[in-house]
Amino acid sequence: MTATTVQNYTLVITGAPYSSQAPQTALLFAKAAVAAGHTVDRVFLYGDGVHLASSLSSPPSDESHWADQWGNFLSDNDIPGVACIASALRRGLIDESEQKRYELPASNLREPFIIAGLGEWVEGTMASSRVLYFHAGD
Amino acid sequence: MAQIHTLHILNKAPEHPRSGECLRSLNPGDALLLIENAVLALATPGELTAGIPVYALSPDVLARGLAQTARKASLVDFPAMVELTAQAQKVISW
Amino acid sequence: MSTLIVIDQPPYGAWAGREALDMAFSLAAFDQPVALLFTGAGVNWLRKSQETMGIEQKSVERNLSAAPVFGVEAIYADATACALYGLVPDSMVAGVAIAESSAEVIRQHSHTAFAG
Repeated sequence: MTATTVQNYTLVITGAPYSSQAPQTALLFAKAAVAAGHTVDRVFLYGDGVHLASSLSSPPSDESHWADQWGNFLSDNDIPGVACIASALRRGLIDESEQKRYELPASNLREPFIIAGLGEWVEGTMASSRVLYFHAGD
Repeated sequence: MAQIHTLHILNKAPEHPRSGECLRSLNPGDALLLIENAVLALATPGELTAGIPVYALSPDVLARGLAQTARKASLVDFPAMVELTAQAQKVISW
Repeated sequence: MSTLIVIDQPPYGAWAGREALDMAFSLAAFDQPVALLFTGAGVNWLRKSQETMGIEQKSVERNLSAAPVFGVEAIYADATACALYGLVPDSMVAGVAIAESSAEVIRQHSHTAFAG
């Protein structure tokens, strides 16, 4: 086996937690990539994938809490987690500034996720050496 | 691990339309990695591809009880999946 | 670096195609080369005369008509899928190139993305 070139990854998650396996697969991949010395530039949540950033997700205590696990992984490794603003607002994923802007009754974006535009994904396609997508399987 | 031109990562069950699209898009020099629902292809009769290396993500294979039928693919763990994506010149997530 | 955005989901009954189109427009807005490939049930995006008033959604035909204006370099439609859904050039929106082999179109691009 040849020596591995260090890669920098943008990971795009489009499958929602608890309706697809995408966030779990992406997390196990991201942990293995970091452990192997690669860099994860950013994780971009798109489409139904934005549900991973909900602070209100409350699975039963005997099930994995994917939003917490992802949030902790991103914080521990200083990896930006970005939810697409257009996908997020349509699906009711709201940070405090969007709550104020649209005068909504609550916000629910889990730290350390932020909301930003598709430009973050475009940046990934330009700057990262690998862009991987984790889609729903149905 | 030989040089891979395009690594095709497939996560759809064999009956999903995108599964067929993926298999029809394989070229010599490419490799196929089955993950999630796509590992169910290991339970079906017949060969998946001709002359293309086939890998399957072992946690997904084991979870579905397919460890004994996995002769059609080389099993890889997550570190090996990372290695495949790093070695390939191009990766397509189907 | 050229990106191919693939839409294989049918219009209206699935949202991922719209989000794929947004990805293409976004790349084009940043002056990144991008093309669209419609395949499978996704070729139904390309049918002329979509009237969506009754389902209260914006017409994807109209959304797609902005693609050349935004700078999307090409729109491809898979020939086999077009035949399956009875689409011929006369029944399709203008500016679509029929691709005999989707695999060949995919091979010509350095980055391929689905929206979901």
